[in-house]
Amino acid sequence: MTELPPQTSEADTDADGRRSVLSNLFMASGLIAGYGAFAAIAGRFLYPAGPSAQSWQYVARVDDVAPGAAMKYRMPSGARVNIARRGSAGTAEDFVALSSTCPHLGCQVHWEGHRNRFFCPCHNGVFEPDGTATEGPPAEAGQRLSSYPLRVRSGLLYIQVPTQALAAAHDIDAADLDDDAPQGPGHDPCLSRRNPREL
Amino acid sequence: MASLSTWLRDRIPVSGDALRELTNEPVPNHLKRWWLCLGGTPAYLFVVQIITGILLAFYYEASPSTAYESVHYITNEAAYGWFLRSVHKWGATLMVAAVILHQMRVYFTGAYRRPRELNWMIGMCLLVCTLMMGFTGYSLVYEQLSFWGATVGANIADTVPGIGTFIKQMMLGGDAYNERTLSRFYVIHAAVLPAATVLLLFIHITLIRLQGITEFPDADSANNSKPRYFNFFPDHMYTELIIGLVLMILLSALATILPATMGPRADPLTTPEVIKPEWFLYVTFRWLKLFAGTFAVLSMGFIVFVMFAWPFIDGWIRRRWPASEASVWIGIFGVLTIIGLTVWEGLVAH
Repeated sequence: MTELPPQTSEADTDADGRRSVLSNLFMASGLIAGYGAFAAIAGRFLYPAGPSAQSWQYVARVDDVAPGAAMKYRMPSGARVNIARRGSAGTAEDFVALSSTCPHLGCQVHWEGHRNRFFCPCHNGVFEPDGTATEGPPAEAGQRLSSYPLRVRSGLLYIQVPTQALAAAHDIDAADLDDDAPQGPGHDPCLSRRNPREL
Repeated sequence: MASLSTWLRDRIPVSGDALRELTNEPVPNHLKRWWLCLGGTPAYLFVVQIITGILLAFYYEASPSTAYESVHYITNEAAYGWFLRSVHKWGATLMVAAVILHQMRVYFTGAYRRPRELNWMIGMCLLVCTLMMGFTGYSLVYEQLSFWGATVGANIADTVPGIGTFIKQMMLGGDAYNERTLSRFYVIHAAVLPAATVLLLFIHITLIRLQGITEFPDADSANNSKPRYFNFFPDHMYTELIIGLVLMILLSALATILPATMGPRADPLTTPEVIKPEWFLYVTFRWLKLFAGTFAVLSMGFIVFVMFAWPFIDGWIRRRWPASEASVWIGIFGVLTIIGLTVWEGLVAH
């Protein structure tokens, strides 16, 4: 005696089809939600926590920098900033603090005194003393050396710079030895520890 | 012995004949010439890199305060450290060269054409992985070249419109090179890229196995009874073993005669007066000097895209102009341009 196959109605077939679609949908949703959530957590874990810390640092007494004079300021990280005074009003607008980081791809420019220019050795960028690019890829892109925010409080000049330090102390000392840039008072380590809000 | 064989067969139910059938790929006769066997060379060198890399990892410390000193220890104090580091360095150099030569062979013999378009693209991914392993590798030494190479590389990514800053921050672990940057490069170099390379190699070789090796018109065997194939095992295996042996001798000789040295320690405050990346990045370095930032980066991205999509572009050209030899001339132009820019960058200080 042969066994007959079970009789299935059209409604049963439709119900099975719907069940199959729903179960696949739930399975796909679960997988996407589960692994997607994990991927999001992993991505957020790898993404840096926030921008690097910055603070206002003391540079010099305004009266100690004559109009037309320039000075060197060394950030807590050791990076050098060239600060020049161009006016005599006694405000922050008198000063410009040029970064030594090339705007092209982030190398450090250095001052070539005999040519009166900043030069970036990575891709041959050349900058005027005021930071305007005149040769190389930065000039083609119309770039200039960036400047740091400055402010004057009670006759004292302050600069806003990153405080994260990567360079070892001996590197900073060594860099100071072979420096032909204009010398200046630099930053005051005692004042630099003050809370910026107190300034 | 028979009982051991039975014991093994019970637990690994694969017959010798089935295994032979599975592995014994028919190899076209042209692969008897060693210069047409360049595909196995980077794979062999990759294995050398994994072994020497694991050994170097026993002493390497990925932190700005310790990385340079740990590499100094490996180079100057650890027993045979100088040799293993030198083999790793020269292995990387030869691997990049072998991948490029293999790709050139595939290009000029038209082996990327239908149905092998996808395998060409996987090969391009392997080329990118190899170059990135080279780049992240020399970034780990924490010498001047390492620091400024990483800085420039991250800032190149930064110039990509839209997602550039995100890529830079993910590369560096911050806005600029910081205490956490080196460990990222280390993980990418020693875990992420090798894992990706193993996966891609598996797919690459599987596709070669499924599609077979490209056959060339062979005047000798077309009209006579000579076989057009020979066996992978043991004939081709011996060829690969000999190539491996020659490579090991070459690597040992290079490592001994021209051992890996160390430049000055990274100084984040001073970019050296003369700075250049490794030779395989000279072409991009010169390109970046010739053109302004965003255009230079986007044009390089476009060239890489064209290389990825070349089998399809070539197919379109050949459908439109069936008799043209455009791919050959474009290839010659591309190779000469790359060689020209590389030599130019190599010969001048700036």
